Amino acid sequence: MSASTAATAAPASSTSFVFPSTYNFPAFFTPQPNSTTRQSQLRKWSSLIQSWCRHHRIYRLSIIEAIDSPLFHNATLRKRLDLAEARTIVDWMAKKEEEGGGGQRAEWIEGPSASSGAKSKNLAWIWWRRPEEWADVLVDWIDATGQRGVVLTVFELVQGEATVSQEFHGMDHDVMMKALNVLVKRGKASVFGNEGEEGVKIF
Amino acid sequence: MFFKPLDLTTALRPLLLPDETLLFVQDAVGLYEGKYKIPDYQNGHAYLTSHRVCYVSAEESRKYCVGIDLKEVDRAEYQAGFFRSSPKITIYPKPQKTKLDTRTNIGATVSTTAHADQLSVQQSSIRPAFTGDQPAASPKPINATWVCPICSFSNPVPSNFDPATVTGNTPLPPCLACGIKPPLATVLKAAINAASTRESPLPTAEPPETGRVSVPDKNGVSSLSTAVKKVPCPRCTFMNHPSLVECEICGASLGASAAFPQLHGTSRTDSPAPFFAQSRIVNSEVTDSIKLSFRNGGDKTFHDRLKGALVQRKWLLQNAPPVPAPSQRTDSPNNPGAAAVEGPQSPAPRSTLVGIAGLEQRGLETRINNQLVIGNAFEDLEALMASAKQIVALAESLARESGMNSNGGASTETTTVLSESVAALGMVTTKDMLSSGSESLYLSELSRDLAEYLTDDRKGILQREGGIMSLIDLWAVFNRSRNGVELISPSDFQRAAELWEKLKLPIRLRRFKSGLLVVQRYDWSDEKTIRQFQDWMEELRRVPPDESVPWDWSLFGRAITAQEAAQRFKWSVGVAAEELEMAEDRGILCREEGIEGLRFWSNHLVS
Repeated sequence: MSASTAATAAPASSTSFVFPSTYNFPAFFTPQPNSTTRQSQLRKWSSLIQSWCRHHRIYRLSIIEAIDSPLFHNATLRKRLDLAEARTIVDWMAKKEEEGGGGQRAEWIEGPSASSGAKSKNLAWIWWRRPEEWADVLVDWIDATGQRGVVLTVFELVQGEATVSQEFHGMDHDVMMKALNVLVKRGKASVFGNEGEEGVKIF
Repeated sequence: MFFKPLDLTTALRPLLLPDETLLFVQDAVGLYEGKYKIPDYQNGHAYLTSHRVCYVSAEESRKYCVGIDLKEVDRAEYQAGFFRSSPKITIYPKPQKTKLDTRTNIGATVSTTAHADQLSVQQSSIRPAFTGDQPAASPKPINATWVCPICSFSNPVPSNFDPATVTGNTPLPPCLACGIKPPLATVLKAAINAASTRESPLPTAEPPETGRVSVPDKNGVSSLSTAVKKVPCPRCTFMNHPSLVECEICGASLGASAAFPQLHGTSRTDSPAPFFAQSRIVNSEVTDSIKLSFRNGGDKTFHDRLKGALVQRKWLLQNAPPVPAPSQRTDSPNNPGAAAVEGPQSPAPRSTLVGIAGLEQRGLETRINNQLVIGNAFEDLEALMASAKQIVALAESLARESGMNSNGGASTETTTVLSESVAALGMVTTKDMLSSGSESLYLSELSRDLAEYLTDDRKGILQREGGIMSLIDLWAVFNRSRNGVELISPSDFQRAAELWEKLKLPIRLRRFKSGLLVVQRYDWSDEKTIRQFQDWMEELRRVPPDESVPWDWSLFGRAITAQEAAQRFKWSVGVAAEELEMAEDRGILCREEGIEGLRFWSNHLVS
């Protein structure tokens, strides 16, 4: 399931999450040795994680916490994904598609405990929309509302009343900054102001 | 002697008749007819059985295989190898049942070559009458005479007069004395009369003919040396030139005595045409002799055993009825094994004792059985005839046991006895049957043995195992069936199994990913196994499970374990596990590891 098709399910945040049928397939929780089956299994897990996060508006996923959540633990089947397997799946999601991965739909976050040196691999961005895609969504909204060249604050974009109907409403601040930085790099926006009270102008 | 078509077993070996036993096998044998090689029969296996000599070509075995019944073999001669010529065994056919011995006629042909052309022209009209099985049928009217009812002169019945085909229109020669044509009835009666008296010993008619034939038989060389042989007239005893058909003096027919031998000689031996026709030798007649050329050794043993088989004449016992069994059964009710000693075809359960005790009991049973057989057989003549088959077999084995074998030491006797008992258990090839040192032949024969053993529908080994069994299981079962004799080493076994593909046998050896070697039918493929799995999965989706399950069974069905698969398809568990993994490897199934163990599901992950 790609991110664009999942968009139709996204506004239904008030209803409970509907798991795909494979979630109830016991073999889904066992790593498959057959490479073709394995690829398919990883793809299914990736799309499940993405739609789960989209449903719950999760941008950064803590693997440790998620391992006991219904995402990785099917209570009816009494089946769960173990931690190593969950990390393998996120690893796969983080890889580029050309490298046989899931198309950078996840990204490990160097946690505060990363000072110990080793990658903790506990927290990951789940890109059910990549920052580039968020940037496109922003541009589309700016265009639709005729606000090109208008200076907006980041707070306005994320929390403002005008964006309530938008997907990026209530978005993680860091994700919003990443999306805006993409636009800056494309030369379509400029960001100014201090940390925490940035303003943005899209042209 | 005729080349007969062979029935081959699944392992491309001659199918043995009941009571027929295999005596020897040799590979790399070529077949000759007379002096000429027979095309397509130059590299194959020669099988010597108690009844036949069989030849099976290595390539296209089903097309190129022939057999010769030993009962039609007169003798076999051994010819040692010389420089590039391989050792050969020449097999001579028995003379035909008719009085015409082809071998004596070759000499006659040589002596009368000057007249050969003329003869063949003369006899071409009669030839069709003699191409059948009994060339002797036609000479009947030769010496018949009819008495003229007018002048009572004794006239000869014309040589072409056949009472069977004559009609009222048949022209009859007039009486030689008075020139009056005889009535047909007179001649016919005379001809029939002569024919009927000929069948009983007829001294007046026979002497010239028997004399003609028997002279070369007794001292063939001397008679051949005389350049021109005179043929005495059966009636007036005038010595005629051999190329004449009728007596120069009295006109009596000389046909049978002089003409037919040359007819055979000219039409068979010299003409190349029959040879080419016989290159497709099924059912064709062997006129002269055939040779087996042993390019890979084994000739000595083959010859020895062929001689032995010709002396034993086992085929004579083919029609002898077996000894009535019930009397023995009632006499020895405590010995279920007693019946089993009789032969491989008796299905009585074998005693289960093993080790020394088992051997001792078997010996005891055999002795009791022998006692019974001898006792019954000599009660009266009829019983003796009835049990001829067994008595002969018994005598043979007794002779061997008492050491009548002249050259063999104790070890060879032992091996013979052992291999015999192995043969009685249904196994065919033993190392004893093969000349020592030909390891590859032993392996290929073992390979064929295995293939036959596996595909034997009576035993149904493969069927019982669901069409597939591991090589180790097969090795155990096979060695057990050999009953502790001529056991096969695992390495020989594996090498023999690896030969199946090369020998194009209907069994194949397959190596699973894990290295497990299994045996399965040649036509069995992974696709068939997968189809079986898919059918099963389909079935599981239709039938609701016994207990309620948390998943959607109508969508996913149920998981299967290796044990369940083994039970369903009658495989061993190891094989089932391998097959399941094979199906997983093909993406048909996927696995679920849990506390219950490894289970397999229909693959719903790939959509």
